[in-house]
Order: sequence, then structure tokens, then C-alpha cells
Amino acid sequence: MTPVLKTVHLVKIYSDGAVPVPAVRGVDLQVEPGEFVAVMGPSGSGKSTLVHMLGGLDSRTSGEIWLDGQRVDTLSESAWALLRRKKIGFVFQFFNLVGNMTVADNVELPALLAGASPKEARERRESLLGALNLTERADAAPGQLSGGEQQRVALARALANQPSVLLADEPTGNLDSRNTRDVLKLLSNVHKEGQTIVMVTHDARVAGLADRLVSLFDGEIVDDGRIARKRTRTAGAVIDLR
Amino acid sequence: MSTMRAGGRWIRADLRARKGQAALTVLAVAGIVAALIAAVTLLEDGTNPWRGLFAQTNGAHVWFYTKDSPTVAVGAIDGVTHVAGPYRSAPVTVAQDGKKEPTSLRAMPSAPAGVARPVVAEGRWLDPSQADGVVVERSFASALRVKVGAPFTVIALSGERHTLYVRGIADSAEQGFFPEWTPGLAWVLPGTLDRIEPMLGRSEWVTGLRLTDADAAQIVSQRVVVMLDDQLQRVYTWREVRAAMELDNRLLGTLLALFGVVGLVAAALALANAAGGRVLGQLRDLATLKSMGFTRGQVALLLLTEHGSLGLLGVLLGAVAGWAATVAVLGASLVAPMPVLTIVASTALVVLAAVGVPAWRGGRTPPIPAAPAVPPRGHLSRLARLALLVRLPPALILGTRDAFTRRVPAFLTVFGLAVPMMMITIGLGVWATLDNFLSHPEQVGQHAALHVRAGKLEPAQAERLVRRDPGVLAVYPGAEVNALAPGEARSIRVRALGGSASGAYPFPVVEGRLYGQPGEAVAGQGLFDLLGAKIGDRVRLTVGGSPLIVRIVGRTVEPDLDGEVLSVGLDSLAAKDAVPPEFYALALRPGADPAEVRARLLAASGEGLDVQRVVNPADRLTIIRVVIVALIVLLSLIGLANLLTACALGLRDHAFDLAVLKAMGLTPRQVMATLVTGSGLLVVLGVAVGTAVGVSVVTGLIDLQGHTSGVGAGIGRPPSPLTLTLAVLAAVGAALAVAIIPARRAARAQVPIATR
Repeated sequence: MTPVLKTVHLVKIYSDGAVPVPAVRGVDLQVEPGEFVAVMGPSGSGKSTLVHMLGGLDSRTSGEIWLDGQRVDTLSESAWALLRRKKIGFVFQFFNLVGNMTVADNVELPALLAGASPKEARERRESLLGALNLTERADAAPGQLSGGEQQRVALARALANQPSVLLADEPTGNLDSRNTRDVLKLLSNVHKEGQTIVMVTHDARVAGLADRLVSLFDGEIVDDGRIARKRTRTAGAVIDLR
Repeated sequence: MSTMRAGGRWIRADLRARKGQAALTVLAVAGIVAALIAAVTLLEDGTNPWRGLFAQTNGAHVWFYTKDSPTVAVGAIDGVTHVAGPYRSAPVTVAQDGKKEPTSLRAMPSAPAGVARPVVAEGRWLDPSQADGVVVERSFASALRVKVGAPFTVIALSGERHTLYVRGIADSAEQGFFPEWTPGLAWVLPGTLDRIEPMLGRSEWVTGLRLTDADAAQIVSQRVVVMLDDQLQRVYTWREVRAAMELDNRLLGTLLALFGVVGLVAAALALANAAGGRVLGQLRDLATLKSMGFTRGQVALLLLTEHGSLGLLGVLLGAVAGWAATVAVLGASLVAPMPVLTIVASTALVVLAAVGVPAWRGGRTPPIPAAPAVPPRGHLSRLARLALLVRLPPALILGTRDAFTRRVPAFLTVFGLAVPMMMITIGLGVWATLDNFLSHPEQVGQHAALHVRAGKLEPAQAERLVRRDPGVLAVYPGAEVNALAPGEARSIRVRALGGSASGAYPFPVVEGRLYGQPGEAVAGQGLFDLLGAKIGDRVRLTVGGSPLIVRIVGRTVEPDLDGEVLSVGLDSLAAKDAVPPEFYALALRPGADPAEVRARLLAASGEGLDVQRVVNPADRLTIIRVVIVALIVLLSLIGLANLLTACALGLRDHAFDLAVLKAMGLTPRQVMATLVTGSGLLVVLGVAVGTAVGVSVVTGLIDLQGHTSGVGAGIGRPPSPLTLTLAVLAAVGAALAVAIIPARRAARAQVPIATR
């Protein structure tokens, strides 16, 4: 089976300032379809840089990135943008909803961008918001929503085009524990439906939800292993967070 | 298609979220465009009234005078659509308030003519029931100071006096305005003219031809010359009439162009600032769009569409409003479409260009949405370190730091203030130049304040009289003749004044030297351009059949006749043209009032002398002063609007810092001082740069403009240091007053330390 995402000796060096700062130093990572990978590490370990590079938001210094069996690190900024429409969904720490647009418009935007007709986009939005329990907030502005609700909208937006991989950068970093639980529950549900997820977090309890934990330190992978967990039929339905 | 839909949603949402700001942008652009259109059209109409009059009167393009009623079919000439007349016209003299003016009395029927009909401005047209009625051309009527109902005494060639009554005052595009175009024009019924001047041999016949193509006037007039041969007295076309009606057209043309450019720059600045500010405020949203899959080009296009359509909507509204305003003032047929279309097209282009830059910058936003929008460079600027070194209060240091941490907005603020300030300085320079014309007329060739013609007196007697007056410093006998230049169809003016060697008139020579002996001459820039001559050249002219060969030894500042004037000493002219002198130019003693001297001379000569004040070119350019004031107001408003945008942006950037500063213990007053120092430094810099650039280019610009208008370089004056200081102080003061408004609000507001 071809991996959804593969990196080969991926390196990122920031050279804006006087001294070049290496953020990612030779990461080899392979993500299989349907996997839920958590990337952990302390502040400044390069986790956000890594996930930004995986989505083409930041350019790599050297190394390769493969997405769905296609080499993508050589793509131009515009080609990356076109690729992101169909294959990559992003969830950010600060939600990054377009403040002027209603919840419904925020969720429909990626679908419209990918070429769906307004009718299709509306149907998809209705089913997504329905699944996330946000149907009645469709006409609200993002500013009127709580943090958890905003992140759920962001998740709906990221999933609007059924991307090959969902990239989440500290999705719970700005939420209280109750909202964290809600969002994680949703992520877990999405994962059960077969969605590939790469999530960056510095919270061990959040990372515990994933199938696989990759630890990053000073831009290098120091540990990569499956989380041994008793998998029951109801796994993910009850998440015990204390 | 898909991006259009997605982009459309985004634009709609963004516009909905900031209705007020969008409306303000549209209104600002609309205001500038409307002002431009109204100003250009009204000014054009004011300075070039011919086009309006021609349209109103359904005028004729070619006019010719014959001894008898023309016998050939001039209406059959190719391109002629209508023939006006022939009307009989008799030379008479009008005696009004002791003045006598030669007048051409024209016979016209009471029924309005189809072509070239005088349009009654006051009173009524001629009526057969009132045989003693006369209608007077408007400029002639105002020169004679006659009103409707006033008696109008004409003296026929036979010497017989007839008293008519003014029934109406009418406009005509048939000839130029009185007194530039003489004789004056008045219309009577044919029967009345027969009574006043029964001798057909003493009158001439006037015929007008209306053409399908105005450009064919020259060819048609040549055909007329050939067909009528020795019957023809003279012929002229609409071009001569228009030229006679025009007021310093080239000077005003360049002024209009300057006004237009300023308006365009202002519109561009206002839009670029509004769009740029909005883009800066939206960087996070733009990054989000990119993370969703918008490409760089699509984001740029999105922004260009949104802000560009606002600008274009403003242009459209402004065009409609400006058009409506001018139509309301002038009437629909009188608004020239060309300038309006030019303005619309150029503002539309400028709008797109002005919006293009911020759109392009928005397109280059990095797609990482977490990228902070706070100042990226936190270290102290050199200026701030200096402030620290001299132990300024903390608010000043912080403000100094804030001013330059974000270089692009700082540059935009400085630029947005420097451009209006530069334009204001140039406007003040034009003002100073006009003032200089008035206070030092001798520097523009008007050393003499009065021109005296002998009138009823003997020339020698007149000269004795003027030399005796205590207010007169010097008397220069002079004459003005027309000369034909080789290879030129039209004649040029030769002004002979004073002696060549001794008693030479002090012309303001700016290049070369003044003539020192007979046979030498000085000329204005317009003449050099016309003849393609340069200083040191010898030119051969013909004055009334006799040759005049002079060497041009200098260039003068020449405000008259587009500078196409050759000045010589009186002794350079042949005696037949120079003796007796046609007039005496009087230079007055400093402090002598020309009006007083004129009154004294008139009294001493028993109204025998004809004394005229020299018209200062600045008096004719009063309209420029109105334009300058309007310009300065518009520019000040734009500069302040730019500053407000910049302040709002700065506040957005600093909202977080302000909370921290307050937490650190700065009082609201200190916070305000910090903010005002930040914008104040930029204001001072912008105003200083603008003033400096304006002062350095103003003299050159005016001289360049003087050169093209024939007056010649050497008239430009920079504004006085006092005016400049006042302008700078006023600009900085107004800017600081504006900057204080948002600063005060920010200092008082409770700024929570919130998450971004």
C-alpha cells in the first residue's frame, strides 16, 4: 500500500537572520492511509514547521515530500494551493475562521473553491454541520461562537473536500478541557471513518488518542512508536481525560 | 469559475462587514472625480467661451465681408450646409458718456435666423413695432455700460445723430469680445439701418457659412477668396474668433493639466491608502484563504476586484455627479464630452494602478496563518537610541521607537503627507509668482503703469503735459506696429518704446542684453519659438511695406500675446511709423498712484488725453487663485485622511502593546503622548520632505510652464520663507490635531490583554 504521506530526509533551515536556524533536521516520516499520527515535542522542536511543510505552507530547505505517491516538494506555491484544495485539510490552534463570513460560508468556501456547485456545497455543509451538532449556528458569525464551537467549524471546513490527510496544528491548544474533549471526540470519530490525521500537540493526554506517537526534539525524530492500547469495540467513544 | 464563486462569497462578506468604510472610499473617489470634472469643464467654459456660444447660436464657421451683396452662389461650395445673411452692415460711431466707439451696425430681420442667430441674454429681440430699437452685443454693451431701455446714440458717417433705444443685449459667436475685437457690434432692423445710413456705397455685406466639417473652414475660406475675388473685403474663420475669445489659454491649459494631475495623484493616494490599510488588516484572513487553496494570483485578483470595483464605482458616481453639476450650470449642449471622458478613463486607470500595488502585496502574504501581525522588528531605532541618550521622557522614546519599527507603513505615511504638502508648496509658489507680478510689474515688462495717447491734443502738447506731472518719473514715447515675418502667414507685433541708446525702456532682459543701438532688438520666448530664432540672429521683417532688419540681442519676460512680441527702440522704426509717437508710456515715481495720476492728467488736458492703465497679467489670472485655494483645501483633506488611515493602522498594530504599557505603569496621558509622538514624527518628516521637494521644484516648474506659454523662463518665484513657515506650522498643527483624536480614544479605552 502506498503511504499517504512520506518525507525523505526533510530539512528546514531559517536563514532570515544573521545566523541560520535549523528548525527541522532530516526527518523521515511515513504515514499510512487511515493512520492517526500525533507529533509531540517541546516548544521550538520544529513540530509546527514540519506540519506546515507537509501542507505546503512553508517551503523545505532540502529533502522530499511525497503525497499519495506523488512527489510534491518541488511544486510551486500555486501548484501547492491547487493541491491543498482537494487533498489537505488544515486545523489551526487559533481556528482561523474568516471573521467576516458566517459559519455556513466558512464551511462552504473550500467546497466552492474545489469546484463544487453552490447546491453541492450547501448540501455538504449541511451534512457536516449536522454531524458536528452546529446546524443551528450556521448563520452566526464566528465571533459569536465559543472556542470549542469555532474549532468544530474549522474542522468541518477542513473536512469539506474529504481530504487525503487532515493536518492539525495544536487543535486543542487554545481550548478549555471540556471543549478539548469535544474536539478530540470528533477527531477520533473522523479517524474511525478512515480519515488520515497528522496532529501536532505538546499535550501528552491529547497525543494519547493517536495510534502512533512521533516525538520530535531539536528538529529530529527521537522516538516513533505505536501506542500500545487495548482496542475495544467502543474505542474512542469514551475518552478518559483527567 | 469555482474561484469566482468562492471569491465572490468572500468579497460579499468583507464588504458587508465594513459598509461604512467602503461607502467612504466610494464617496472620496466620487468627490475627487466630480470636482475634477466640474472644475475642468467650468474652467474650460470660462476661459474658452467660444464653444458654448457657438453651440448656443448655431454659429457659422466662416465669415466674409463684401462690398456688395455677393452675387455668386457661396451656398453651393462643397461642405457648406447653411448660409447666414448676407446682412448689410454700416460703420457708425456710438457716442456714450462722452466716449465715442466705432461700431458696426448690422441689419437683421425680426424673425430669428436659423444659423448664426444672436441669442438674447437680456431684454427682447428686435420688434418691427419699435423701429428705434437696437440690440447690442453683450461685451460691447458692458464696455459701454448700457442697460436695456437706455438710449443709444449713433452718429452716421454723414455726421447725422440718431437716438435708438436698447431693446436687448445678446450673445454672438460671430466675432470676438469688445474691446479685443473692434468695432463693436449692434443689430437693428433693416428699415432702421436704411434710415440711419441710406447710402448703400458706405456699407458692406456680411455673410456667414455653416459647414459640415469645422476643419474644412480654411479650404472653404480659400474658395470664397477665389470666387469673390475683388468683391471681397475680408474673410475670417471660427479659429480667429475662438482665439480672440480665449483668455491666456496656454497658461490655463497647463494649469488645468496640473490640477488634473494633482487630482489623480490625490485619488490614487486615497485609494492606495484605503486598500493598503484594509489589506494590512486582513493579512490573517488572506493567509487562511491561502491555506485553504487560494493561489497567490487568485488572492491578488480577489483584492483587485474588491477594491478596484469600489474605486470604479466611485469614478462612475463622480462622473455622473460632475456631469449633472455642469449640465445644471451650463446646459446639456455645452458640456464638452472629451475632457469628461479623458478624466473618467484616466481616473479609472489610476484607480486600478493604485489598488494593484496593495493587491499584489496581499497576494504575497505567506500562507502560514499563525504569522504574527505585530511589529517584526522590535529593536530600538537609531533615532530612539538617540532619544534615550539625551534622556527624553519615556513616552517620547517609545513613540520614537514606534514610528519606524514598521518601515513600509511609516514610508506610506510620510509619502502620503509629503505629496500633498509638495503640491501645496507648488500652489503657494504660483501664488507668490502672481504676487510678484503685482508688486514688481517692472520684472514682467510693465515698468510703465500708464499709456497715454494724444487723443484730441497735439502730440507735442500731450508730451509737455505728461512730463509736467509730478507723479511721472519717465516718459517713453512709443509705437506698436504689426510686421510680417518671412515665411509666416500671420503678422507679429513690434513694440517700439523709448530710445535705443539713451532713454531706453528698461525691459526685463533675462538672457543676453538690452539693445544698445538702433537695429538691435529684444524678443519674448514666444517669438523665438515662432521664428526658430536664437539670440544673436538677424531677422528681416516688413512693416507696412518697408523692411525692418534687426539683430535680436536678448530675451525679455513677455506676458503679452503669448510672448510673440519684438521690442525695439523707437529710433529703429522708420520715421513714418515712429513720428509722431503713437503713445507715451509713463513710468511713475515710487508711491505714485496710477489712478491719481490718470485723473490728474485727464483733468489737466480737459479730457483731451486718452489715458489707460496697463493691465497686469496677474489681474487676468485671478481665477488661478481660486483654483489654488480649492486645490489646497482638497490636498489638505486628502493628507489628513491619509494620516487618519495610518493612525488607525498603527493603533491596530499596537493595541496589544498598549495594554502591556499600561500594565507597566504608563498613565493614559503618557500613552497618548507615545502615540502622538509616533505619528507626529512621521508627520514632521512628511511635511518637511514635501516642503523641501516643493520648494526645490517650484521655480523650475513655473519657469517651464512660462516657457511653454511664451512668457519665457525667469518669472518663477518660490513662496516666501514666512509663508512657508506658516504653511508648515499649519500642516503640522492640523496633522497633530487629527492624530490626537484616535490617540485619546485609545489611551482612555480599556484595552484587555486578549488572545489574538
